[in-house]
Amino acid sequence: MITEYHRPTTVEDALSLIGDRSAVPLGGGTTLTARRDGAPIGVVDLQALPLDEITVHAGTATIGATTRLQDVVDSDVLPPVLRDLARREGPRTIRNAATIGGTVVVADPESELLACLLALDAAVTVARDDGRTELPLDEILGAPQAVAGELITAIAFPVGGRLAADRTGRTPMDRPIVAAVAHRGPDAVRVAVCGVAPHPVLVDPSAIADLEPPSDFRGSAGYRRTLASVLVGRVLADVGGDR
Amino acid sequence: MSSTVTLHVNGRDLEIRGGPHESLRTVLRRAGFHSVRFGSDTGETGAAGVLVDGRLVSADVMLAVQAEGHEIETVEGLAGPGEMHPIQQAFIDTGAMQSGYSAPAMILATKELLERNPNPSEGEVRDALSGVLDRESGYLRPVHAVLRAAATMLGEDPDDISVVHLDTLVGSEASVHHDRDGLSDIAPRVVPSDEVPPTRVVGHAEPKTDAIKLVKGNPAFTDDTDLEGTLIAKVLYSPHAHARITSIDDSKALSLPGVHAVLHHGNVARVRYASGGQSYPNPLPYDQVSFDDKVRYVGDRVAAVAADTEEIAREALELIDVTYEVLPAVFDENEAIAEGAPVIHDEPDMEGAHDASRNIVHHIEATTGDIEAGLAAADRVFEQTFRVHQVQQTPIEPHVAIAEWDSDERLVITTSTQVPFHVRRMVAPLLGLPVRKIRIIKPRIGGGFGAKQEMLIEDIVGHLTMATGRRVRLELTREEEFVSSRTRHPQTITYRTGVDADGMLTAQEMRVIGNTGPYGTHGLTVQMVSGLRGLSSYNAPVKAFDCIVAYTNIPVPGAYRGYGAPQALFALECHMEDIAAELGMDAIEFRRRNWTTVGDPIDIAPQLGEGDIEEGVMPIITSSGLEECVLQGMRAIDWQRRTDARWKQPPDRPNIRRGIGFAMAMHGTAIPGLDMGGASMKINDDGSFNLLVGATDLGTGSDTVLAQIAAEVVGVGIEDIIIYSSDTDMTPFDTGAYASSTTYISGMAVKRAAEGVREQILDRASELLEAPSGTIDLHDGAAWSEDGESVTLETIALSTLHQRAQHQIMATASYVSPESPPPYAAQFAEVEVDVETGQVTVERLVMAVDCGVPINPVTASGQVEGGMVQALGYGHCEEMAYDEYGRMVNPRFGPYKIYRSDEMPELEAILVQTMEASGPFGAKAIAEIPKDAVAPALRNAIADATGVRIDAIPFTPERVWRALNAS
Repeated sequence: MITEYHRPTTVEDALSLIGDRSAVPLGGGTTLTARRDGAPIGVVDLQALPLDEITVHAGTATIGATTRLQDVVDSDVLPPVLRDLARREGPRTIRNAATIGGTVVVADPESELLACLLALDAAVTVARDDGRTELPLDEILGAPQAVAGELITAIAFPVGGRLAADRTGRTPMDRPIVAAVAHRGPDAVRVAVCGVAPHPVLVDPSAIADLEPPSDFRGSAGYRRTLASVLVGRVLADVGGDR
Repeated sequence: MSSTVTLHVNGRDLEIRGGPHESLRTVLRRAGFHSVRFGSDTGETGAAGVLVDGRLVSADVMLAVQAEGHEIETVEGLAGPGEMHPIQQAFIDTGAMQSGYSAPAMILATKELLERNPNPSEGEVRDALSGVLDRESGYLRPVHAVLRAAATMLGEDPDDISVVHLDTLVGSEASVHHDRDGLSDIAPRVVPSDEVPPTRVVGHAEPKTDAIKLVKGNPAFTDDTDLEGTLIAKVLYSPHAHARITSIDDSKALSLPGVHAVLHHGNVARVRYASGGQSYPNPLPYDQVSFDDKVRYVGDRVAAVAADTEEIAREALELIDVTYEVLPAVFDENEAIAEGAPVIHDEPDMEGAHDASRNIVHHIEATTGDIEAGLAAADRVFEQTFRVHQVQQTPIEPHVAIAEWDSDERLVITTSTQVPFHVRRMVAPLLGLPVRKIRIIKPRIGGGFGAKQEMLIEDIVGHLTMATGRRVRLELTREEEFVSSRTRHPQTITYRTGVDADGMLTAQEMRVIGNTGPYGTHGLTVQMVSGLRGLSSYNAPVKAFDCIVAYTNIPVPGAYRGYGAPQALFALECHMEDIAAELGMDAIEFRRRNWTTVGDPIDIAPQLGEGDIEEGVMPIITSSGLEECVLQGMRAIDWQRRTDARWKQPPDRPNIRRGIGFAMAMHGTAIPGLDMGGASMKINDDGSFNLLVGATDLGTGSDTVLAQIAAEVVGVGIEDIIIYSSDTDMTPFDTGAYASSTTYISGMAVKRAAEGVREQILDRASELLEAPSGTIDLHDGAAWSEDGESVTLETIALSTLHQRAQHQIMATASYVSPESPPPYAAQFAEVEVDVETGQVTVERLVMAVDCGVPINPVTASGQVEGGMVQALGYGHCEEMAYDEYGRMVNPRFGPYKIYRSDEMPELEAILVQTMEASGPFGAKAIAEIPKDAVAPALRNAIADATGVRIDAIPFTPERVWRALNAS
């Protein structure tokens, strides 16, 4: 249960509140406030921090951590595929509150937006007591404790190249059972997949058969592997790669 | 932790009591903003949508403190009393609201959209509404309400919403008609019948009588009340699928400050009952008690507490020490009746099961002759087995009830129920109170769909109020609504059908193993309806039904809109499709040769009916518009594309196959000889009328339809009818809202009461006009003689109430029907199948339905549109999934997938009129038939697209992919 609430106006104040790890950062709150467990926690609401800008500069797009997903959807400087995948994170009521920083922290295995950011080789800027540092997104998704007591301030990725996404779900706007996103940049093609691991992961298209997906009522492990293979093939074809 | 939150709501600063842990919804509701409604704690329903700085957010998942310093808008701020915002007016005009529970959130979503985009596309509208789940409308009318509001606010002409009459196609050349040219998506389509006489109010798209309170977000629902001083109840549910409670210790819970009562099997009288909301005597078995010393599914009741706050109540639940002896459990209906299965009801006072020691609740048999001889007479016999799964009704308003002693020390229970009168009678013995000491009030209901045809939680709040002397409120969480309320029965269904060389059926047999979970409740009657519906669509010289209803340890199945018919008709309509394919016959022509029509007997009905029907009387079909429905539906779906190879396999999309499927449906209208409705009507000084009905409007618009019937009879507009429904102290009896009965049964009661009033009006009019009453007509609020003289109803009212030979013009009537005239429907579905992944995308659903004369074409169309979408969920994407211990793994929207506004197929409802002489102004039922045939139409469309025939639902990607790979 939430027993304390803070709304700092500077990153430094926020860091000092979360530094001793008794309080956790609160983005939009769409996941955190729905939690029903009883342990008392404090929250540090990030809404007053100046972290909600979207900029594109020198070939790099930077999305501030408290940027709401709807603002990502609405931003005409961001790639259309990424904007569409942001739209798929949830209905408008949720996108109007949820933040991109929160999305990174939650690391939902079915987040196509995160798969897209992985394919884009996104870097996450993290503020800590001794300054700021950049970490590759896939390091954070695998290990959320890597940023405990720290604050994600932005997500950055190169603009340009070709992006493609595809998915299989029960209905058109359902969370995907499996989804794939490919990005062809100047040097490399990167492919990320949802629904085959505890969080979205970068995959080697030639090694899909080695994936060990989870199994649930929406898809067995074997079926998910098949979907990954089909969908990765499609997105690679869409970005002009080899099938 | 008492602190306050300062919120700026609708232009005013408010200081509201609230802690840092409390959601914006909780705090706003506490401050009296009742339009911010509960649908779940996790935000997916959007019923708690509010604008924060002009953006729609779900107030469930925003802390109140997060909203400090921001502009908050709720629908209460949109327009004052007597005023109406253009958005609200558009929601009324288009018939966008059924229960209206989430209407405030949709209206705010519209406001957000139109402020940033005054001229949105349909896609943008659907995106704007995407966060507000609607289980009722299918979103078609809400989407068009937004478009209409946009047009109105821009000063443009909105889409035409008036009723469109389509030409009759039976007996005419389809190609010569242009009646569909320029048809708007939302105009109700009616194919009129010459036999239907003209009417002034009936048959017209009158606005809902409860529209104002719904569109304004005024307090209207059970929980829209000040809870200050009310104790909050919470229930402790079983974590085990099957266990004995060996000890229960409530002492720690009771010693927690703020806890007022803890109830469990040790301190609540053991009174056996069946919870299904049905007529007296409730069908056996009586296999439940309020609290038992055994639990039979994950989610079964163990104990209940009442405490000062929800937090204390939750904490108290954790302090109840329960020791369980865990028993083996069984979940599958076939395994449950096998040798050696765990016995679910082994208690000595178990009453009325067929063979509890084998988990057999009922064995139902019905036959019209020698089935083996009938099959032997066939050229070919086809046998096929189907499996249908478990789904939940998911009304957006969960079960909620509030009990209190009134000043006369009678127990008043305000509850979201479809069956207030049954609840009063059924809860009385459990509480040890006589019926006269109990009053049940049904306010507006935020959807029910059968889940609320149950005495589900009223005994708990009743017990707790009696134990504490206090007002007690219990509201189920979304997870509890999934797991601990009611669901649809899973079944294993096997058909055997004999067909002769001409494609005529010689015999049809249906065998069912029904899964009623751990309690009988509706187990007998749902499975009887499966047999009735599964063996009534088609004529066969011999029919047989054999059904075993099994106890298992899954969450409890009960009543769910369709009530056994969706299960049966999935199997039947797949089976008939496949027989036609095997015979090389056209699938519709094969059905046409065999389907029942006017003059045919419903020959299995006498053995599968519940009501008191004279023996030896065979029900005969008196009206059917099925052929017209089929032709209208074929035209609307563009049926001939089934033969267009380039359409079916688009060359530019190699992994896609397209198909169109058909299924027919026949349903019933009320339970003959059983369902009874009452109505009472009186005149007021100004010539308006109070109409009191026992019928229970759960969002369907039945209050509106009943008011239209009354208005038609006495010659006034619907605004002159003030309707009040279902309060056991105030209104006549009614069995309740189920079995597609309200328009037909309660409607006839209203018609008769209104006719009684009409007679009395004519008597006084005759004196005042000096004309024989037989020559006087009532219309436009006045009585008219043949020579054009008139006297207003106001004059008649004042005369009779005040001036001379004073009396109250009033009448009461009730009605029970010996018949159940079947509505018919033709259901079409268009799909795309991705043959590499198994993903099915539903592009279009069309249902043409014969409901007799639709009393209100807008509400009737809304029933069809919304019903089809619920049925789509059943066939396509909804399922209750469990782990090996019987714990539901997806008790949340999202993982349990219901359709959203921004992913919908196109929907079309076509109302084909017939004149059903036994119904009020020609009406039959429409509420349930839209649930019956989407799943088989979808399945047959997938077969048309891919050649693969799948005999189990839902058609989730992996199931379809496996079938594709197996073929």
